[in-house]
Amino acid sequence: MREVAIIGVGMHPWGKFPDKTFVDMGVEAVNKAIDDATMQWKDIQSMVSGLWAWGGGNGFVAGQSLAAVMGETGIPITNVFNMCATATSVLRTAYQVVASGEQDICLAVGLDKSPKGFFSSLGRPDSTDTDYLRWKMLGLTNPGYWAMECRKRMEKYGTTERHLAKAKVACSKHAALNPDALYRKIFTEEEVLNSPMVCDPLRLYMICATRDGAAVAILCSAEKAKKYTSKPIKIAGVGLGSSLYGDPTMRLGWLSTISNGESPLLSESAMSARMAFNQASIGPEDVDFVELPDNSSWHYLQYLETIGFCKPGEAEQMLEAGETMLGGKLPVCPSGGASSSGEAVTAQGLAQVCELVWQLRGQAGERQVQNAKVGMAQTYGMLGNSAAVILKA
Amino acid sequence: MSERQRYPAIDGLFTWQEDVNHLIGGKCESCGSFCFPKSSNVHKPGCRETQVNEVLLSRTGKLDSYTIQYYPPPAPFISPDPFEPYAIGLVSLPEGISVLGILSGSKPEDLKTGITVELLVDKLYENEKGDEVLGWKFKPI
Repeated sequence: MREVAIIGVGMHPWGKFPDKTFVDMGVEAVNKAIDDATMQWKDIQSMVSGLWAWGGGNGFVAGQSLAAVMGETGIPITNVFNMCATATSVLRTAYQVVASGEQDICLAVGLDKSPKGFFSSLGRPDSTDTDYLRWKMLGLTNPGYWAMECRKRMEKYGTTERHLAKAKVACSKHAALNPDALYRKIFTEEEVLNSPMVCDPLRLYMICATRDGAAVAILCSAEKAKKYTSKPIKIAGVGLGSSLYGDPTMRLGWLSTISNGESPLLSESAMSARMAFNQASIGPEDVDFVELPDNSSWHYLQYLETIGFCKPGEAEQMLEAGETMLGGKLPVCPSGGASSSGEAVTAQGLAQVCELVWQLRGQAGERQVQNAKVGMAQTYGMLGNSAAVILKA
Repeated sequence: MSERQRYPAIDGLFTWQEDVNHLIGGKCESCGSFCFPKSSNVHKPGCRETQVNEVLLSRTGKLDSYTIQYYPPPAPFISPDPFEPYAIGLVSLPEGISVLGILSGSKPEDLKTGITVELLVDKLYENEKGDEVLGWKFKPI
């Protein structure tokens, strides 16, 4: 496999855009990335796109729908879906297209228009679909699952409500420095603790919102990258993971789990992180900053341990010691995270990649991580999906 | 006037006409893996069996965790009207699996992890004809 670099990135802002289609947002992000890479649409040799799950036929082949607007050139287009890990999975597939030598240039697209409020069942009513059953029979929302894991953590390690509030405050301080973040207000712990309870123990400001967005990265073989950019960002490692038998996590979309399994919690995420580290030949201690999947304050703490940045039970100390802030040992979500911009499910991973690229190029303005050389991004999706990527300056 | 009926919201997930009812799960006779519902069909890596047999799961277990949902969930769930915050729990069973279930029989604020709970087949909602549509729940004993 040959070396691959990212030569251009572009993002459509995160927010709610009722007057825009998923194609409108995707095309805007594609054009920004193409301009960033000083190239033209006709230079794009292949595409991998996240599929848009909330629409119909056109959404299932989102890549083709974008190509129709950009101008059809007959290139190979793959559409990928791995729940909330879709966009990072898109990046991995695009990476393989170029690393294998099949193509020199591949466009990686993530886009989403999320439905308002809680997500509901994805597919048609089906009594053998546990994701349908958890809605029909229990009304169990995604934050409800996270809240149960959070309560387990609180009882095991003594995590408090205040720790959960601190995670939100930390992300908001980074968002305040990011002109592209949707919510730039710095929260106080009190404001978070006084926000309405949604799924006990998770309060409103401890849970990320859902939003629309699109993000794009253009991948190129490393040897040809200098033709397009003076600062190609190298893809050092990509990982994709699925669950291990015996993972005690009560998995989003399931109704039962192994009670006292021998596999790690969030095993699909442990697997994807490890795979990315192995490919990059580095360990967690070599990472300068991370965009982790901060869907809730529980995730913020749990992922520090799952990825391996600290030992089990020590995430709260990392947070309290300021290690996860800009200027600290391991800035977490320097962009402000999903906490500050909302999650656009099938686009999120590529928004993380955009942030990694800007940081590694030294283009992150007031939120610049000093001496950023190695960045990591990870997403995880329901029913056992996770993907991770490590980029190097 | 037609008689009110009483039936499960979805068939095959639990027994409901017995004096003592159970969740209907699955067990692989080869690798010993349990699952709920039966359609989850989970096996250990290396197991060559691709189906599970129907088993009636234990009725009592330990409440390992729970949450209280403060907002009415979207369709297809049908909440009581008016909506009241309600609890959903994760219950570990002697079979070595933990299952989800709505918690009833106690105020959500009074719940504690570690308590013993028991299965209950109970009304989820009433339909337009006044039929009682059933689901499964757990209550502290």
